[in-house]
Amino acid sequence: MAAYILHLAILGGMYVLLAASLNIPVGLSGQVSLGHGAFFGIGAYISGLLAIHYAVLPFPLLLVLAGLGSAAVAVLLSPPALKLKDEYLAVVTLGFGLIFELGLKNLAFTGGTDGLYGLPNFGMQGADFLWWVWGAVALCLFVTSRLRKGQFGRNLTAIKESERTARTLGIAPLPLKVGCFALSALFAGIAGSLYAHYITFINPGVFGLHTSILLLCMVVLGGMGTVLGPLAGGILLFLLPELLQEFADYQDLVYGGLLIVILIFRPQGLLGRAPGQGRRRFPLRRRTQPAPASTSNA
Amino acid sequence: MIWQQIVNGIVAGSAYALVALGYSLIYGVLGLINLAQGEIYMAGAFGLWIAAAVLGLPLPLAVLFGLLFSAVVGLSMERVVFRPLTGRHPLIPLLAAIGLSIFLQSVALLAFGPETRPFPLEFEPQLWNLGPVTLSTLQLLLVTTALALMGGLFWYVHASRHGQALQAVAMDREAARLVGIKPHQCVAQAFGIGGMLSGAAGMMMAAYYNATYPYMGVLPGLKGFCAAVLGGAGSIPGAILGGLILGLSENLGAAYIHSGFKDGYAFAILIAILLLRPQGLLGKSK
Repeated sequence: MAAYILHLAILGGMYVLLAASLNIPVGLSGQVSLGHGAFFGIGAYISGLLAIHYAVLPFPLLLVLAGLGSAAVAVLLSPPALKLKDEYLAVVTLGFGLIFELGLKNLAFTGGTDGLYGLPNFGMQGADFLWWVWGAVALCLFVTSRLRKGQFGRNLTAIKESERTARTLGIAPLPLKVGCFALSALFAGIAGSLYAHYITFINPGVFGLHTSILLLCMVVLGGMGTVLGPLAGGILLFLLPELLQEFADYQDLVYGGLLIVILIFRPQGLLGRAPGQGRRRFPLRRRTQPAPASTSNA
Repeated sequence: MIWQQIVNGIVAGSAYALVALGYSLIYGVLGLINLAQGEIYMAGAFGLWIAAAVLGLPLPLAVLFGLLFSAVVGLSMERVVFRPLTGRHPLIPLLAAIGLSIFLQSVALLAFGPETRPFPLEFEPQLWNLGPVTLSTLQLLLVTTALALMGGLFWYVHASRHGQALQAVAMDREAARLVGIKPHQCVAQAFGIGGMLSGAAGMMMAAYYNATYPYMGVLPGLKGFCAAVLGGAGSIPGAILGGLILGLSENLGAAYIHSGFKDGYAFAILIAILLLRPQGLLGKSK
Protein backbone atom coordinates (compact mmCIF):
# COMPACT_ATOMS: atom_id res chain seq x y z
CA MET A 1 0.00 0.00 0.00
CA ALA A 2 2.82 2.37 0.95
CA ALA A 3 4.57 1.46 -2.30
CA TYR A 4 1.38 2.22 -4.23
CA ILE A 5 1.04 5.63 -2.57
CA LEU A 6 4.69 6.37 -3.31
CA HIS A 7 4.11 5.40 -6.94
CA LEU A 8 1.06 7.69 -7.14
CA ALA A 9 3.01 10.55 -5.56
CA ILE A 10 5.81 10.21 -8.13
CA LEU A 11 3.60 9.81 -11.18
CA GLY A 12 1.21 12.50 -9.95
CA GLY A 13 4.19 14.80 -9.46
CA MET A 14 5.17 14.30 -13.09
CA TYR A 15 1.70 15.29 -14.26
CA VAL A 16 1.74 18.31 -11.95
CA LEU A 17 5.13 19.26 -13.42
CA LEU A 18 3.73 18.94 -16.95
CA ALA A 19 0.61 20.94 -16.10
CA ALA A 20 2.72 23.61 -14.37
CA SER A 21 4.99 23.86 -17.42
CA LEU A 22 2.01 24.13 -19.76
CA ASN A 23 0.63 26.87 -17.54
CA ILE A 24 3.55 29.12 -18.52
CA PRO A 25 2.47 29.74 -22.14
CA VAL A 26 -1.26 29.12 -21.59
CA GLY A 27 -1.72 31.08 -18.39
CA LEU A 28 0.95 33.77 -18.58
CA SER A 29 1.21 34.77 -22.23
CA GLY A 30 -2.13 33.34 -23.44
CA GLN A 31 -0.84 30.80 -25.99
CA VAL A 32 -2.93 27.63 -26.13
CA SER A 33 -1.16 24.38 -26.85
CA LEU A 34 -2.83 21.07 -27.64
CA GLY A 35 0.52 19.42 -28.33
CA HIS A 36 2.29 19.58 -24.99
CA GLY A 37 2.52 15.79 -24.84
CA ALA A 38 5.02 15.99 -27.70
CA PHE A 39 7.54 18.00 -25.64
CA PHE A 40 7.10 15.49 -22.83
CA GLY A 41 7.87 12.78 -25.41
CA ILE A 42 10.87 14.58 -26.89
CA GLY A 43 12.46 14.73 -23.44
CA ALA A 44 11.67 11.08 -22.74
CA TYR A 45 13.06 9.83 -26.05
CA ILE A 46 16.20 12.01 -25.93
CA SER A 47 16.94 10.76 -22.44
CA GLY A 48 16.09 7.16 -23.27
CA LEU A 49 18.10 7.04 -26.50
CA LEU A 50 21.13 8.70 -24.90
CA ALA A 51 20.99 6.29 -21.97
CA ILE A 52 20.86 3.31 -24.34
CA HIS A 53 23.63 4.42 -26.69
CA TYR A 54 25.95 6.23 -24.23
CA ALA A 55 25.70 4.32 -20.97
CA VAL A 56 28.38 6.47 -19.31
CA LEU A 57 26.21 9.59 -19.07
CA PRO A 58 25.04 10.31 -15.52
CA PHE A 59 21.36 10.86 -14.73
CA PRO A 60 21.51 14.61 -13.92
CA LEU A 61 23.23 15.28 -17.25
CA LEU A 62 20.53 13.33 -19.12
CA LEU A 63 17.88 15.35 -17.30
CA VAL A 64 19.48 18.61 -18.41
CA LEU A 65 20.04 17.41 -21.99
CA ALA A 66 16.44 16.22 -22.26
CA GLY A 67 15.18 19.58 -21.06
CA LEU A 68 17.49 21.55 -23.34
CA GLY A 69 16.74 19.36 -26.35
CA SER A 70 13.03 19.81 -25.87
CA ALA A 71 13.46 23.56 -25.42
CA ALA A 72 15.60 23.72 -28.57
CA VAL A 73 12.83 22.08 -30.59
CA ALA A 74 10.38 24.64 -29.18
CA VAL A 75 12.67 27.53 -30.12
CA LEU A 76 13.11 26.20 -33.65
CA LEU A 77 9.46 25.45 -34.33
CA SER A 78 7.56 28.09 -32.44
CA PRO A 79 8.44 31.42 -34.13
CA PRO A 80 6.24 30.83 -37.21
CA ALA A 81 3.54 29.04 -35.20
CA LEU A 82 3.29 31.73 -32.53
CA LYS A 83 2.22 34.30 -35.08
CA LEU A 84 -1.08 32.43 -35.14
CA LYS A 85 -3.79 33.05 -32.57
CA ASP A 86 -6.12 31.06 -30.34
CA GLU A 87 -7.89 28.36 -32.32
CA TYR A 88 -5.33 28.39 -35.14
CA LEU A 89 -2.49 27.92 -32.71
CA ALA A 90 -4.51 25.18 -31.01
CA VAL A 91 -4.90 23.28 -34.26
CA VAL A 92 -1.26 23.73 -35.30
CA THR A 93 0.00 22.43 -31.96
CA LEU A 94 -2.52 19.60 -32.15
CA GLY A 95 -1.21 18.71 -35.61
CA PHE A 96 2.37 18.89 -34.37
CA GLY A 97 1.54 16.50 -31.53
CA LEU A 98 -0.19 14.08 -33.88
CA ILE A 99 2.64 14.09 -36.41
CA PHE A 100 5.17 13.62 -33.60
CA GLU A 101 3.24 10.59 -32.34
CA LEU A 102 3.02 9.13 -35.86
CA GLY A 103 6.75 9.74 -36.30
CA LEU A 104 7.55 7.82 -33.11
CA LYS A 105 5.38 4.95 -34.29
CA ASN A 106 6.88 4.74 -37.77
CA LEU A 107 10.57 5.52 -37.35
CA ALA A 108 13.08 2.75 -36.73
CA PHE A 109 15.38 4.41 -34.19
CA THR A 110 12.50 5.21 -31.80
CA GLY A 111 11.50 1.55 -31.68
CA GLY A 112 8.19 1.96 -33.49
CA THR A 113 4.95 1.27 -31.64
CA ASP A 114 6.82 -0.88 -29.08
CA GLY A 115 8.92 2.08 -27.97
CA LEU A 116 12.09 1.74 -25.90
CA TYR A 117 12.57 -0.99 -23.32
CA GLY A 118 14.88 -1.64 -20.40
CA LEU A 119 15.95 1.94 -19.78
CA PRO A 120 18.34 2.27 -16.82
CA ASN A 121 17.04 3.68 -13.55
CA PHE A 122 20.60 4.42 -12.30
CA GLY A 123 20.01 2.36 -9.17
CA MET A 124 17.55 4.93 -7.84
CA GLN A 125 14.69 3.94 -5.56
CA GLY A 126 11.18 5.33 -5.60
CA ALA A 127 12.03 7.81 -2.86
CA ASP A 128 14.91 9.26 -4.92
CA PHE A 129 12.56 9.87 -7.81
CA LEU A 130 10.08 11.46 -5.42
CA TRP A 131 12.69 14.08 -4.51
CA TRP A 132 13.71 14.73 -8.10
CA VAL A 133 10.13 15.05 -9.34
CA TRP A 134 8.81 17.30 -6.62
CA GLY A 135 12.04 19.32 -6.67
CA ALA A 136 11.41 20.01 -10.35
CA VAL A 137 7.78 20.89 -9.56
CA ALA A 138 8.92 23.38 -6.92
CA LEU A 139 11.42 24.92 -9.35
CA CYS A 140 8.78 25.22 -12.08
CA LEU A 141 6.24 26.82 -9.73
CA PHE A 142 8.93 29.19 -8.42
CA VAL A 143 9.81 30.22 -11.98
CA THR A 144 6.11 30.75 -12.74
CA SER A 145 5.67 32.97 -9.71
CA ARG A 146 8.78 34.99 -10.65
CA LEU A 147 7.56 35.37 -14.23
CA ARG A 148 4.29 36.84 -13.03
CA LYS A 149 6.06 39.63 -11.20
CA GLY A 150 7.80 42.80 -12.27
CA GLN A 151 8.24 44.29 -15.71
CA PHE A 152 8.41 40.92 -17.39
CA GLY A 153 5.13 39.73 -15.90
CA ARG A 154 3.38 42.96 -16.82
CA ASN A 155 4.63 42.64 -20.39
CA LEU A 156 3.29 39.11 -20.59
CA THR A 157 -0.09 40.18 -19.23
CA ALA A 158 -0.20 42.96 -21.80
CA ILE A 159 0.43 40.45 -24.58
CA LYS A 160 -2.21 38.13 -23.21
CA GLU A 161 -4.87 40.81 -22.94
CA SER A 162 -4.21 42.51 -26.27
CA GLU A 163 -1.25 41.94 -28.47
CA ARG A 164 -1.88 45.07 -30.49
CA THR A 165 -1.90 47.26 -27.41
CA ALA A 166 1.29 45.58 -26.22
CA ARG A 167 2.93 46.39 -29.54
CA THR A 168 1.96 50.05 -29.34
CA LEU A 169 3.54 50.14 -25.89
CA GLY A 170 6.82 49.01 -27.41
CA ILE A 171 6.71 45.40 -26.27
CA ALA A 172 7.91 42.90 -28.89
CA PRO A 173 5.54 39.96 -28.39
CA LEU A 174 7.35 37.26 -30.35
CA PRO A 175 10.55 36.88 -28.29
CA LEU A 176 8.54 36.79 -25.06
CA LYS A 177 6.11 34.23 -26.43
CA VAL A 178 8.91 32.06 -27.79
CA GLY A 179 10.67 32.37 -24.43
CA CYS A 180 7.58 31.17 -22.58
CA PHE A 181 7.18 28.25 -24.97
CA ALA A 182 10.83 27.26 -24.64
CA LEU A 183 10.71 27.43 -20.86
CA SER A 184 7.58 25.32 -20.91
CA ALA A 185 9.21 22.76 -23.21
CA LEU A 186 12.29 22.70 -20.95
CA PHE A 187 10.26 21.57 -17.94
CA ALA A 188 8.20 19.16 -20.07
CA GLY A 189 11.45 17.64 -21.34
CA ILE A 190 12.70 17.21 -17.78
CA ALA A 191 9.40 15.51 -16.91
CA GLY A 192 9.92 13.22 -19.90
CA SER A 193 13.38 12.22 -18.75
CA LEU A 194 12.14 11.53 -15.22
CA TYR A 195 9.28 9.46 -16.62
CA ALA A 196 11.55 7.44 -18.91
CA HIS A 197 13.94 6.42 -16.13
CA TYR A 198 11.28 5.87 -13.49
CA ILE A 199 8.98 3.66 -15.58
CA THR A 200 12.00 2.28 -17.59
CA PHE A 201 10.00 1.79 -20.78
CA ILE A 202 8.34 4.32 -23.05
CA ASN A 203 6.04 4.01 -26.04
CA PRO A 204 4.38 6.55 -28.36
CA GLY A 205 0.90 6.20 -26.85
CA VAL A 206 1.94 7.96 -23.64
CA PHE A 207 2.86 11.19 -25.44
CA GLY A 208 -0.14 11.54 -27.73
CA LEU A 209 -3.22 13.68 -28.02
CA HIS A 210 -4.89 12.14 -24.98
CA THR A 211 -2.09 13.35 -22.71
CA SER A 212 -2.01 16.79 -24.32
CA ILE A 213 -5.74 17.24 -23.75
CA LEU A 214 -5.50 15.95 -20.19
CA LEU A 215 -2.72 18.45 -19.42
CA LEU A 216 -4.64 21.39 -20.84
CA CYS A 217 -7.67 20.35 -18.78
CA MET A 218 -5.51 20.23 -15.65
CA VAL A 219 -4.35 23.79 -16.27
CA VAL A 220 -7.83 25.13 -16.95
CA LEU A 221 -9.47 23.29 -14.05
CA GLY A 222 -6.82 24.48 -11.63
CA GLY A 223 -6.96 28.05 -12.86
CA MET A 224 -4.96 29.38 -15.82
CA GLY A 225 -2.23 31.81 -14.89
CA THR A 226 -2.29 31.06 -11.18
CA VAL A 227 0.84 29.64 -9.55
CA LEU A 228 -0.80 26.81 -7.61
CA GLY A 229 -3.65 26.09 -10.04
CA PRO A 230 -1.77 23.40 -11.99
CA LEU A 231 -0.96 21.72 -8.68
CA ALA A 232 -4.65 21.50 -7.76
CA GLY A 233 -5.83 20.62 -11.26
CA GLY A 234 -3.03 18.11 -11.79
CA ILE A 235 -3.62 16.28 -8.52
CA LEU A 236 -7.40 16.23 -8.97
CA LEU A 237 -7.42 14.94 -12.54
CA PHE A 238 -4.60 12.50 -11.87
CA LEU A 239 -6.21 11.01 -8.77
CA LEU A 240 -9.76 10.93 -10.14
CA PRO A 241 -9.21 7.85 -12.35
CA GLU A 242 -7.41 6.11 -9.47
CA LEU A 243 -10.31 6.78 -7.10
CA LEU A 244 -12.83 5.66 -9.68
CA GLN A 245 -11.06 2.40 -10.47
CA GLU A 246 -13.97 0.34 -9.17
CA PHE A 247 -16.20 2.07 -11.69
CA ALA A 248 -13.68 1.88 -14.51
CA ASP A 249 -16.44 1.73 -17.12
CA TYR A 250 -17.85 5.04 -15.96
CA GLN A 251 -14.48 6.77 -15.56
CA ASP A 252 -14.53 8.73 -18.82
CA LEU A 253 -18.19 9.55 -18.34
CA VAL A 254 -17.44 11.20 -14.99
CA TYR A 255 -14.28 12.83 -16.32
CA GLY A 256 -15.96 14.42 -19.35
CA GLY A 257 -19.06 15.37 -17.38
CA LEU A 258 -17.06 16.92 -14.55
CA LEU A 259 -15.05 18.97 -17.02
CA ILE A 260 -18.23 20.40 -18.55
CA VAL A 261 -19.84 21.12 -15.17
CA ILE A 262 -16.75 22.91 -13.83
CA LEU A 263 -16.37 24.97 -17.00
CA ILE A 264 -20.01 26.06 -16.81
CA PHE A 265 -20.10 26.84 -13.11
CA ARG A 266 -16.52 27.81 -12.32
CA PRO A 267 -14.80 28.83 -15.55
CA GLN A 268 -11.95 30.61 -13.79
CA GLY A 269 -10.77 27.26 -12.44
CA LEU A 270 -10.55 26.01 -8.89
CA LEU A 271 -7.95 28.55 -7.72
CA GLY A 272 -8.58 31.35 -10.18
CA ARG A 273 -10.26 34.54 -9.10
CA ALA A 274 -13.68 35.29 -10.50
CA PRO A 275 -13.81 38.56 -12.41
CA GLY A 276 -14.51 41.38 -9.98
CA GLN A 277 -13.09 39.47 -7.05
CA GLY A 278 -9.43 40.09 -7.71
CA ARG A 279 -7.47 43.24 -7.14
CA ARG A 280 -5.72 43.56 -10.43
CA ARG A 281 -5.53 40.42 -12.53
CA PHE A 282 -8.28 38.22 -13.89
CA PRO A 283 -6.80 35.06 -15.35
CA LEU A 284 -9.71 34.30 -17.65
CA ARG A 285 -11.14 37.61 -18.70
CA ARG A 286 -10.86 38.47 -22.32
CA ARG A 287 -14.19 39.69 -23.57
CA THR A 288 -15.99 42.37 -21.65
CA GLN A 289 -19.02 40.53 -20.44
CA PRO A 290 -20.96 40.64 -17.18
CA ALA A 291 -19.28 38.62 -14.45
CA PRO A 292 -20.57 35.04 -14.29
CA ALA A 293 -22.57 34.24 -11.20
CA SER A 294 -19.99 33.27 -8.62
CA THR A 295 -20.66 30.10 -6.70
CA SER A 296 -20.84 29.88 -2.95
CA ASN A 297 -17.33 28.47 -2.58
CA ALA A 298 -15.81 31.27 -4.65
CA MET B 1 -3.41 3.25 -59.77
CA ILE B 2 -3.18 6.98 -59.32
CA TRP B 3 -6.70 7.46 -60.70
CA GLN B 4 -8.04 4.87 -58.28
CA GLN B 5 -6.39 6.73 -55.40
CA ILE B 6 -7.98 9.95 -56.62
CA VAL B 7 -11.42 8.33 -56.66
CA ASN B 8 -10.89 6.98 -53.12
CA GLY B 9 -9.66 10.40 -52.06
CA ILE B 10 -12.76 12.12 -53.40
CA VAL B 11 -15.04 9.69 -51.55
CA ALA B 12 -13.23 10.19 -48.23
CA GLY B 13 -12.91 13.90 -48.95
CA SER B 14 -16.64 14.38 -49.45
CA ALA B 15 -17.24 13.01 -45.95
CA TYR B 16 -14.57 15.34 -44.51
CA ALA B 17 -16.19 18.19 -46.39
CA LEU B 18 -19.56 17.51 -44.76
CA VAL B 19 -18.01 17.47 -41.29
CA ALA B 20 -16.06 20.61 -42.17
CA LEU B 21 -19.30 22.34 -43.17
CA GLY B 22 -20.67 21.59 -39.72
CA TYR B 23 -17.61 23.22 -38.16
CA SER B 24 -17.80 26.20 -40.48
CA LEU B 25 -21.48 26.91 -39.84
CA ILE B 26 -20.96 26.90 -36.09
CA TYR B 27 -17.68 28.79 -36.25
CA GLY B 28 -19.35 31.38 -38.46
CA VAL B 29 -22.16 32.24 -36.07
CA LEU B 30 -20.50 31.55 -32.73
CA GLY B 31 -16.74 31.72 -33.27
CA LEU B 32 -16.62 28.34 -31.57
CA ILE B 33 -14.66 25.28 -32.63
CA ASN B 34 -16.99 22.48 -31.67
CA LEU B 35 -14.50 19.65 -31.32
CA ALA B 36 -17.39 17.34 -30.40
CA GLN B 37 -18.48 17.40 -34.05
CA GLY B 38 -16.85 14.00 -34.56
CA GLU B 39 -19.16 12.56 -31.91
CA ILE B 40 -22.20 13.79 -33.87
CA TYR B 41 -20.74 11.90 -36.82
CA MET B 42 -20.66 8.83 -34.59
CA ALA B 43 -24.18 9.56 -33.32
CA GLY B 44 -25.50 9.66 -36.89
CA ALA B 45 -24.03 6.25 -37.64
CA PHE B 46 -25.46 4.79 -34.42
CA GLY B 47 -28.82 6.45 -35.09
CA LEU B 48 -29.00 4.62 -38.38
CA TRP B 49 -27.90 1.41 -36.70
CA ILE B 50 -30.65 1.71 -34.04
CA ALA B 51 -33.28 2.41 -36.68
CA ALA B 52 -32.25 -0.46 -38.93
CA ALA B 53 -31.14 -3.16 -36.49
CA VAL B 54 -33.40 -2.48 -33.50
CA LEU B 55 -36.51 -0.89 -35.01
CA GLY B 56 -36.23 -2.76 -38.31
CA LEU B 57 -36.87 0.27 -40.52
CA PRO B 58 -36.01 0.23 -44.24
CA LEU B 59 -33.06 2.27 -45.57
CA PRO B 60 -34.77 5.62 -46.38
CA LEU B 61 -36.52 5.77 -43.00
CA ALA B 62 -33.37 4.65 -41.19
CA VAL B 63 -31.39 7.44 -42.85
CA LEU B 64 -34.08 9.92 -41.88
CA PHE B 65 -33.97 8.65 -38.31
CA GLY B 66 -30.17 8.98 -38.27
CA LEU B 67 -30.38 12.56 -39.53
CA LEU B 68 -32.95 13.49 -36.89
CA PHE B 69 -30.94 11.75 -34.19
CA SER B 70 -27.76 13.65 -35.05
CA ALA B 71 -29.66 16.94 -35.27
CA VAL B 72 -31.10 16.31 -31.80
CA VAL B 73 -27.62 15.55 -30.44
CA GLY B 74 -26.31 18.77 -32.00
CA LEU B 75 -29.19 20.85 -30.67
CA SER B 76 -28.93 19.48 -27.15
CA MET B 77 -25.18 20.16 -27.12
CA GLU B 78 -25.92 23.78 -27.87
CA ARG B 79 -28.72 24.09 -25.35
CA VAL B 80 -27.09 22.27 -22.44
CA VAL B 81 -23.41 23.12 -22.79
CA PHE B 82 -22.61 25.94 -25.17
CA ARG B 83 -25.43 28.38 -24.50
CA PRO B 84 -24.45 28.82 -20.82
CA LEU B 85 -20.88 29.47 -22.01
CA THR B 86 -21.70 32.29 -24.43
CA GLY B 87 -19.34 35.22 -24.11
CA ARG B 88 -16.65 33.47 -22.11
CA HIS B 89 -12.97 33.37 -22.99
CA PRO B 90 -12.76 31.36 -26.28
CA LEU B 91 -10.71 28.63 -24.63
CA ILE B 92 -13.55 27.70 -22.26
CA PRO B 93 -16.08 26.48 -24.87
CA LEU B 94 -13.23 24.78 -26.74
CA LEU B 95 -12.38 22.75 -23.65
CA ALA B 96 -16.05 22.12 -22.91
CA ALA B 97 -16.31 20.66 -26.42
CA ILE B 98 -13.41 18.35 -25.62
CA GLY B 99 -15.15 17.30 -22.39
CA LEU B 100 -18.35 16.75 -24.33
CA SER B 101 -16.57 14.58 -26.84
CA ILE B 102 -15.08 12.38 -24.09
CA PHE B 103 -18.51 12.22 -22.43
CA LEU B 104 -20.37 11.20 -25.60
CA GLN B 105 -17.76 8.60 -26.51
CA SER B 106 -18.16 6.94 -23.15
CA VAL B 107 -21.96 7.12 -23.38
CA ALA B 108 -21.74 5.27 -26.70
CA LEU B 109 -19.27 2.83 -25.20
CA LEU B 110 -21.61 2.06 -22.28
CA ALA B 111 -24.70 1.84 -24.48
CA PHE B 112 -23.32 -0.16 -27.41
CA GLY B 113 -20.10 -1.77 -26.19
CA PRO B 114 -16.65 -1.46 -27.76
CA GLU B 115 -17.13 -3.87 -30.66
CA THR B 116 -17.27 -2.81 -34.29
CA ARG B 117 -20.67 -3.40 -35.84
CA PRO B 118 -21.18 -4.07 -39.53
CA PHE B 119 -23.53 -1.85 -41.50
CA PRO B 120 -27.04 -3.04 -40.55
CA LEU B 121 -28.57 -3.05 -44.03
CA GLU B 122 -27.94 -5.42 -46.91
CA PHE B 123 -26.29 -3.63 -49.78
CA GLU B 124 -24.84 -5.26 -52.89
CA PRO B 125 -22.60 -2.66 -54.52
CA GLN B 126 -22.10 -3.15 -58.23
CA LEU B 127 -18.62 -2.61 -59.57
CA TRP B 128 -17.95 -0.79 -62.81
CA ASN B 129 -14.65 -0.88 -64.59
CA LEU B 130 -14.04 2.44 -66.27
CA GLY B 131 -10.61 2.14 -67.85
CA PRO B 132 -8.04 2.48 -65.05
CA VAL B 133 -10.65 3.01 -62.33
CA THR B 134 -13.01 0.65 -60.54
CA LEU B 135 -16.05 2.49 -59.31
CA SER B 136 -18.71 1.00 -57.03
CA THR B 137 -22.32 2.10 -56.91
CA LEU B 138 -21.78 2.77 -53.23
CA GLN B 139 -18.98 5.28 -53.94
CA LEU B 140 -21.11 6.95 -56.55
CA LEU B 141 -24.07 7.10 -54.20
CA LEU B 142 -21.97 8.60 -51.41
CA VAL B 143 -20.45 11.31 -53.57
CA THR B 144 -23.82 12.26 -55.11
CA THR B 145 -25.44 12.40 -51.67
CA ALA B 146 -22.64 14.62 -50.42
CA LEU B 147 -22.97 16.89 -53.45
CA ALA B 148 -26.73 17.09 -52.98
CA LEU B 149 -26.32 18.01 -49.31
CA MET B 150 -23.75 20.67 -50.16
CA GLY B 151 -26.03 22.09 -52.85
CA GLY B 152 -28.93 22.09 -50.43
CA LEU B 153 -26.88 23.89 -47.81
CA PHE B 154 -25.69 26.44 -50.35
CA TRP B 155 -29.26 27.17 -51.35
CA TYR B 156 -30.37 27.34 -47.74
CA VAL B 157 -27.68 29.76 -46.63
CA HIS B 158 -27.87 32.04 -49.63
CA ALA B 159 -31.50 31.99 -50.68
CA SER B 160 -33.71 31.22 -47.69
CA ARG B 161 -34.65 33.78 -45.06
CA HIS B 162 -33.35 31.65 -42.21
CA GLY B 163 -30.06 31.15 -44.01
CA GLN B 164 -29.67 34.85 -44.63
CA ALA B 165 -30.29 35.48 -40.95
CA LEU B 166 -27.52 32.98 -40.24
CA GLN B 167 -25.16 34.93 -42.48
CA ALA B 168 -26.17 38.19 -40.86
CA VAL B 169 -25.31 36.85 -37.41
CA ALA B 170 -22.00 35.57 -38.73
CA MET B 171 -21.15 39.00 -40.09
CA ASP B 172 -22.20 41.10 -37.13
CA ARG B 173 -24.08 39.71 -34.19
CA GLU B 174 -25.16 43.05 -32.74
CA ALA B 175 -26.29 44.52 -36.04
CA ALA B 176 -28.29 41.36 -36.74
CA ARG B 177 -29.99 41.76 -33.38
CA LEU B 178 -30.85 45.36 -34.26
CA VAL B 179 -32.79 44.27 -37.36
CA GLY B 180 -34.78 41.75 -35.33
CA ILE B 181 -32.83 38.53 -35.78
CA LYS B 182 -32.51 36.40 -32.66
CA PRO B 183 -28.88 35.21 -32.52
CA HIS B 184 -29.74 32.30 -30.20
CA GLN B 185 -32.10 30.84 -32.78
CA CYS B 186 -29.46 31.13 -35.46
CA VAL B 187 -26.90 29.44 -33.29
CA ALA B 188 -29.34 26.60 -32.59
CA GLN B 189 -30.02 26.36 -36.31
CA ALA B 190 -26.33 26.10 -37.06
CA PHE B 191 -25.97 23.29 -34.53
CA GLY B 192 -29.02 21.48 -35.92
CA ILE B 193 -27.95 21.74 -39.56
CA GLY B 194 -24.27 21.19 -38.80
CA GLY B 195 -25.28 18.13 -36.76
CA MET B 196 -27.29 16.71 -39.65
CA LEU B 197 -24.39 17.19 -42.08
CA SER B 198 -21.92 15.49 -39.74
CA GLY B 199 -24.43 12.74 -39.01
CA ALA B 200 -24.90 12.20 -42.75
CA ALA B 201 -21.13 11.93 -43.15
CA GLY B 202 -21.05 9.39 -40.31
CA MET B 203 -23.77 7.26 -41.91
CA MET B 204 -22.02 7.43 -45.27
CA MET B 205 -18.72 6.29 -43.86
CA ALA B 206 -20.38 3.60 -41.71
CA ALA B 207 -21.69 2.15 -44.99
CA TYR B 208 -18.42 2.73 -46.86
CA TYR B 209 -16.13 1.07 -44.32
CA ASN B 210 -18.89 -1.27 -43.09
CA ALA B 211 -18.08 -0.31 -39.48
CA THR B 212 -19.90 1.47 -36.66
CA TYR B 213 -18.11 1.87 -33.30
CA PRO B 214 -17.92 4.40 -30.44
CA TYR B 215 -14.56 5.94 -31.40
CA MET B 216 -15.28 6.18 -35.12
CA GLY B 217 -15.76 9.96 -34.93
CA VAL B 218 -12.43 10.93 -33.39
CA LEU B 219 -10.21 11.14 -36.47
CA PRO B 220 -12.88 12.28 -38.96
CA GLY B 221 -13.82 14.96 -36.43
CA LEU B 222 -10.26 16.27 -36.22
CA LYS B 223 -9.78 16.05 -39.98
CA GLY B 224 -13.06 17.81 -40.64
CA PHE B 225 -11.78 20.59 -38.40
CA CYS B 226 -8.53 20.66 -40.40
CA ALA B 227 -10.52 20.84 -43.61
CA ALA B 228 -12.55 23.76 -42.29
CA VAL B 229 -9.48 25.74 -41.25
CA LEU B 230 -7.64 24.78 -44.43
CA GLY B 231 -10.40 26.15 -46.62
CA GLY B 232 -10.94 29.21 -44.45
CA ALA B 233 -12.92 28.99 -41.22
CA GLY B 234 -16.51 30.07 -41.74
CA SER B 235 -16.40 29.77 -45.54
CA ILE B 236 -18.73 27.21 -47.13
CA PRO B 237 -16.90 26.72 -50.46
CA GLY B 238 -13.69 26.71 -48.41
CA ALA B 239 -14.89 23.82 -46.28
CA ILE B 240 -15.76 21.76 -49.36
CA LEU B 241 -12.44 22.52 -51.03
CA GLY B 242 -10.56 21.80 -47.78
CA GLY B 243 -12.31 18.45 -47.38
CA LEU B 244 -11.48 17.35 -50.91
CA ILE B 245 -7.83 18.44 -50.66
CA LEU B 246 -7.54 16.55 -47.40
CA GLY B 247 -9.13 13.36 -48.72
CA LEU B 248 -7.00 13.43 -51.87
CA SER B 249 -3.73 14.23 -50.15
CA GLU B 250 -4.01 11.55 -47.51
CA ASN B 251 -4.90 8.85 -50.04
CA LEU B 252 -2.12 9.88 -52.41
CA GLY B 253 0.33 10.35 -49.54
CA ALA B 254 -0.47 6.93 -48.10
CA ALA B 255 -0.06 5.32 -51.51
CA TYR B 256 3.11 7.06 -52.67
CA ILE B 257 4.97 8.33 -49.60
CA HIS B 258 4.40 6.28 -46.45
CA SER B 259 1.17 4.63 -45.35
CA GLY B 260 2.06 4.86 -41.64
CA PHE B 261 1.70 8.64 -41.79
CA LYS B 262 -1.75 8.54 -43.41
CA ASP B 263 -3.38 10.44 -40.56
CA GLY B 264 -0.53 12.95 -40.43
CA TYR B 265 -0.68 14.36 -43.99
CA ALA B 266 -3.86 16.28 -43.24
CA PHE B 267 -2.12 18.10 -40.42
CA ALA B 268 1.15 18.63 -42.28
CA ILE B 269 -0.72 20.36 -45.11
CA LEU B 270 -2.79 22.27 -42.61
CA ILE B 271 0.29 23.57 -40.80
CA ALA B 272 1.96 24.58 -44.07
CA ILE B 273 -1.15 26.44 -45.25
CA LEU B 274 -1.62 28.21 -41.93
CA LEU B 275 1.94 29.43 -41.89
CA LEU B 276 1.77 30.70 -45.47
CA ARG B 277 -1.84 31.86 -45.55
CA PRO B 278 -3.29 32.04 -42.02
CA GLN B 279 -6.84 32.89 -43.11
CA GLY B 280 -7.12 29.61 -45.05
CA LEU B 281 -7.40 29.10 -48.81
CA LEU B 282 -10.72 30.87 -49.39
CA GLY B 283 -10.99 32.83 -46.14
CA LYS B 284 -11.02 36.58 -46.08
CA SER B 285 -8.18 38.22 -44.19
CA LYS B 286 -9.31 40.33 -41.29
